[in-house]
Amino acid sequence: MVFILGNNFHELKLVKKALESFYALGPQASARVLAKYSIHPRAKMGSLPPKTITALTAELSSMTIENEARRVVQDNIKRLRDIGTYRGRRHAMGLPVRGQNTRTQIETAKRLNRVDRKG
Amino acid sequence: MQATRCLLKRSVWKGPHIVPLPIVRPEAGKKIVPIRTQARSATILPNFVGLKFQVHNGKVYHDVTITEEMVGHKLGEFSATRKPFIWDKRK
Repeated sequence: MVFILGNNFHELKLVKKALESFYALGPQASARVLAKYSIHPRAKMGSLPPKTITALTAELSSMTIENEARRVVQDNIKRLRDIGTYRGRRHAMGLPVRGQNTRTQIETAKRLNRVDRKG
Repeated sequence: MQATRCLLKRSVWKGPHIVPLPIVRPEAGKKIVPIRTQARSATILPNFVGLKFQVHNGKVYHDVTITEEMVGHKLGEFSATRKPFIWDKRK
């Protein structure tokens, strides 16, 4: 097992996929991190030397990821709500924000659009 | 808000959507006279801050007091056009 930023990863897991498991780290950002520390895109967690792992942990702790990134999203929604825009109101109602139809197929909006957004 | 979101909204060469509005700076001590308008698509500019608008929603005029955070949004965003559906049990 390899330990990065409070999470345990299996040795056979791809480093890129392990990085993408953090909120606010997508394919592009994780590829950038790999390039910065010259890790092969298909490298597995087990193949990393301990020095690189500590460097990765330090890099991730300096980025806005996980709860920090969630808070940024929540603050943006809260700002819309507080100034009383239509978008903020739609977030509070849990309905689509950008003019989509609401007759059917709004499950994603129901799940995600809220003032204290979790996802 | 991401800084880039503002830039993606509209071409830079066009600039913000400026609508000629009858803006009169109220003198100190006098009551602020609201500006009645139907231009919902007018961008809120930094010099609108502190003014009162009455924005049309298709039926009535809603009072909107502009604060600093509203700059960059449109006037229409603050005047709802739809009434929420509420199930009436009495019938």
